[in-house]
Amino acid sequence: MIFRPNPSLGVPIYLQLMEQVKHAIETGALRAGEQLPGIRPLAEELVINPNTVAKAYRELEHEGVIELRHGAGAFVSANAGPKKLTDKLKAGQAIVAAAVERLHARGLSEEEIRRLFEAELAGLTKTGGRSA
Amino acid sequence: MLWYKSWLETRWRFLIGMALLVCSAGGTVLTYPQVMKLMPLVPSVDVSGELGRRIKEAIDLSREYRGYIWQQCFRQNLVQMWTVFAVLLGTGGLLSRSSGGSPLYTLSLPVSRTRVLGIRAATGLVELFALALVPSLVIPLLSPAVSASYSFADALVHALCLFIAGTAFFSVAFVLSTFFHDLWRPLLLALAVAALFALYEQVFHDTAQGLFTLMTGEKYFRTGNVPWAGLIISAAASTAMIYGASLNISHQDF
Amino acid sequence: MPDPLTIETTDLRKQYGPVEALRGLTLRVPRGSIFGFLGRNGSGKTTTIKILLGMARATAGDARVFGLPTDGDASGVEIRRRTGFVSEDKDLYDYMTAAEIIRFTAAFYPRWRADLERRYAHTFELPLDARIKTLSRGMRTKLALLLALSRGADLLVLDEPTSGLDPAAAEEVLQALVTHVAEGDTTVFFSSHQIAEVEQIADRVAIIDRGRTVVDAALDDMREHYRRIQLVFERDAPEPSFRAPGVERVRRAGRVLTILSSAGAEPILDEARALGPVSVDVVPVTLKDIFLASVAMED
Repeated sequence: MIFRPNPSLGVPIYLQLMEQVKHAIETGALRAGEQLPGIRPLAEELVINPNTVAKAYRELEHEGVIELRHGAGAFVSANAGPKKLTDKLKAGQAIVAAAVERLHARGLSEEEIRRLFEAELAGLTKTGGRSA
Repeated sequence: MLWYKSWLETRWRFLIGMALLVCSAGGTVLTYPQVMKLMPLVPSVDVSGELGRRIKEAIDLSREYRGYIWQQCFRQNLVQMWTVFAVLLGTGGLLSRSSGGSPLYTLSLPVSRTRVLGIRAATGLVELFALALVPSLVIPLLSPAVSASYSFADALVHALCLFIAGTAFFSVAFVLSTFFHDLWRPLLLALAVAALFALYEQVFHDTAQGLFTLMTGEKYFRTGNVPWAGLIISAAASTAMIYGASLNISHQDF
Repeated sequence: MPDPLTIETTDLRKQYGPVEALRGLTLRVPRGSIFGFLGRNGSGKTTTIKILLGMARATAGDARVFGLPTDGDASGVEIRRRTGFVSEDKDLYDYMTAAEIIRFTAAFYPRWRADLERRYAHTFELPLDARIKTLSRGMRTKLALLLALSRGADLLVLDEPTSGLDPAAAEEVLQALVTHVAEGDTTVFFSSHQIAEVEQIADRVAIIDRGRTVVDAALDDMREHYRRIQLVFERDAPEPSFRAPGVERVRRAGRVLTILSSAGAEPILDEARALGPVSVDVVPVTLKDIFLASVAMED
């Protein structure tokens, strides 16, 4: 269910893990109240640093997406609000999918598309156009 | 466990040495009857010079069993072979990769280098002592088989002289092994030192009171007096060399 | 209270005759972290490891493990009592069998973990009765790792743990490491040429070049803040002189100016845009890029 993160990407592994968990919740692969894999087994399966898994789980708890129950493990929050996130993100996902498809059609590679997004985000930050 | 490791690293040298030395001692005893049969056939030797003197001496000594044993074993065969094994047992150790050991692995263990070295030295010395004692004791044990008798006390004293004086060669090889990282240089250098000593004493026979003279226990054989002074000096020299080896090892980079 | 820093070196220097192997190396390895140590061959990685474990003595500077000095006789023994080591050549005692060297090693460690020994012997499928001389490199590495992991050690020091291993065996080694760290308060300090595996499991990374630390950062920080900014100009690129912080390296090649920044792109983009380029590209940087840039010959 959780795939191997790409360590070479410009995105920290813990962020990639968080994205995967949130995505799993949105698509219903993980339901409210369901238990997530433990830190040790997940680190062992993905062969990544357990500190990274711990960090991802802590951040997810901080955002209210999951709950860390002492001694029991990590569980998806009852009020993770998948619906709320889903609508906004689903819409955003559609826009991105369309854009990527069009860029592909123009013959741009994955790397090039990624660079364009990065540059655009960097530019947006400068002009203060980025929302919170 | 370090004792066990030292044993594993030296056991073949020890066992082969023991086999050879025991056979040599036993063989010398068992061939006595043959030698006695040949004695009357040997005419008076008229070869002049040093060589003649030596041959005459050897023959004279062999007329009597005690002299025969001293001349063959404690002066010659046993001493020479034992010296080779003293050098062999002193070579190798902490630094040597030749015996399949791994200096880095040993150095990563929670033991001081001095302790590793000390245990290796002690193991070698215990084995060396056995190599001196056991073949020597074979002589009084086996002598009745040829209707002769040899005193246990004599065997013991000769074994001790051989061991205490001869540890010098062990120590030379041992300390050289802490300077050179390979197997051959300490081995050949120590053998060369032994050969030079032997040669020196051969050439200056009358005036020299060298290491080999001590090892053969010549003074005891001829006069019944144990050469304490020489033995103490030799033991002190060996101790100093092994201490030097330990100092050398503790300051080295690996 | 255990030291927050498992390994700490300050201005470490080592001279081998005329050669300066270490020229002022500074390292801080936090407790419980997986710390990757990258550097070219001959940059001083193995020398550093040897000094930490008391196999060699530094010429100058300070090195401490668990807060203890590495050059003392008694402190060295204490450090090694709590450390598991795997050497670069995976040297073991050729004449012993795997079972014998395990028994031999266990005798030195009162905190030996027989349960871990059994687990790794099983997971690694080690032929315990085989003479070490006959083992393949992969098997020797796994045996060396078993010996290091079963000591109940607080620190693991590994010199190129996966070198010479096929990808499957390398992954087994990495997996054993992360599992081990997950189960206890162990610090892992490993040197490597395999940048991908460092990226995969390390918390922090130090890059050593010619005997000095040139980079010492948390991997996530590097991922979030290292960026490459590429400016293309209509005519020859201008002379670079950026005052913004975090500019690590600037390269000029014809009409292209490439900037490596360790503080994100934002601080530099102002000055960058002022130069009037026709295009601005911001790309994340891989650890390999950072490594190559850090150890490249000075222009």
